[in-house]
Amino acid sequence: MDIVWSNFFIQLIAFGILYWLLSRYAFGPLLSIMEQRKQFVKEQLDNAENSRKQAEQQFEEQKQTLQQARKDAYEIIEQAKQTSSKQADEILQTAKSEASRLKDDAVKDIETEKNKAIAALRGQVSGMSVMIASKIIEKQIDDKSQEQLVNQYLNEVGSK
Amino acid sequence: MEHIFPEVHWLGIRWDLAAILTILVTSIIVFVLAKVAVRGASVTNPTKMQNFLEWVIEFVINLIGTSMDVKKGRPYLILGISLIMYIFVANMLGLPLGIVTEAHHGSTFLGMDLVLPDGEEEAHISWWKSPTADVAVAGALMAIVIVLTHVEGLRRNRKHYLKHYFEPYIPFFPLNVIKEISKPLSLSLRLYGNIFAGEVMISVIMQLSWVGIPALIVWQGFSMFIGAIQSFVFVMLTMVYMSQAIVHEDH
Repeated sequence: MDIVWSNFFIQLIAFGILYWLLSRYAFGPLLSIMEQRKQFVKEQLDNAENSRKQAEQQFEEQKQTLQQARKDAYEIIEQAKQTSSKQADEILQTAKSEASRLKDDAVKDIETEKNKAIAALRGQVSGMSVMIASKIIEKQIDDKSQEQLVNQYLNEVGSK
Repeated sequence: MEHIFPEVHWLGIRWDLAAILTILVTSIIVFVLAKVAVRGASVTNPTKMQNFLEWVIEFVINLIGTSMDVKKGRPYLILGISLIMYIFVANMLGLPLGIVTEAHHGSTFLGMDLVLPDGEEEAHISWWKSPTADVAVAGALMAIVIVLTHVEGLRRNRKHYLKHYFEPYIPFFPLNVIKEISKPLSLSLRLYGNIFAGEVMISVIMQLSWVGIPALIVWQGFSMFIGAIQSFVFVMLTMVYMSQAIVHEDH
């Protein structure tokens, strides 16, 4: 086998230079770009994951808010219902008590008026009886006068 | 008439002009290829060439991954990519064309005498070949790899590296030495033999003139396959030897 030894060293040097050039100008930059891309993709994936989580969280929050709102609305309606029925009851109660009060007042008034009338009547009756009694006593002194008195009363009654 | 390679004597040393030429051309092709791919390289919008080169890089990363932990093999990534591209281009280089000139006794190149075989007045000189079809070139590539494996073994894994010569028992030392010697021999001769045989076959088929055209096409295709396989095998073995030197399994 014919070996040209100079080739060995030429190849050695040539490959050394080529390796240096490639690592400095070609593969070095390219590998760093590939590394950057890896980083980039990872970042993007992380971002996507984060936004997904955020969206999920927000959705959950929205759902809870909606639920809360629904509950609130229900409570408000319920409360309104209760208040209205209570108010109605109150109004009814007041009206009832008012009516009974008025009736009581009226009854009392009637009673008072009646008593007053009875009292007045009683006074008149007693006065009249006293008057009649005195008149009778006056005129009992003599028959003549008694007769006169009766006549007089009769006249009096007749004239009235 | 046999084809010989252009040889000159200069400063008392034999120089193979064809090998020098093709080594230069291969190096330039590889560098330009890589440079074009990296020019305008971007993170988010890679060009087609960038994609191709990244595919090569991924390929070599996977290759490293088959023999050792990728993190440990990371320093040899650029070596692997450079080797696979250089050897592949070198293997392809000799296939498509041949530049043959006739030279007479006393012909010169840049004032240097071309060396012709003894006793021949005239010779066909082939200026074009795969650089890897030269045993010295394949040997140089092998030497880079083998020296590097031993250096890295000593540097990063000294205790286990030295110990492995005496395993499993001390009397196995000669066997281990033979193993270490056979590695570089097989690595360089495999590459050289495959490519050189391919070139020889091509020159043989060429002598059939037009009758040999179908055979030539078939053989060219096969040689491309061989060239690709050889570059792959070379880098794979590089990584295997490297992992044997620097990685020790915990028993």
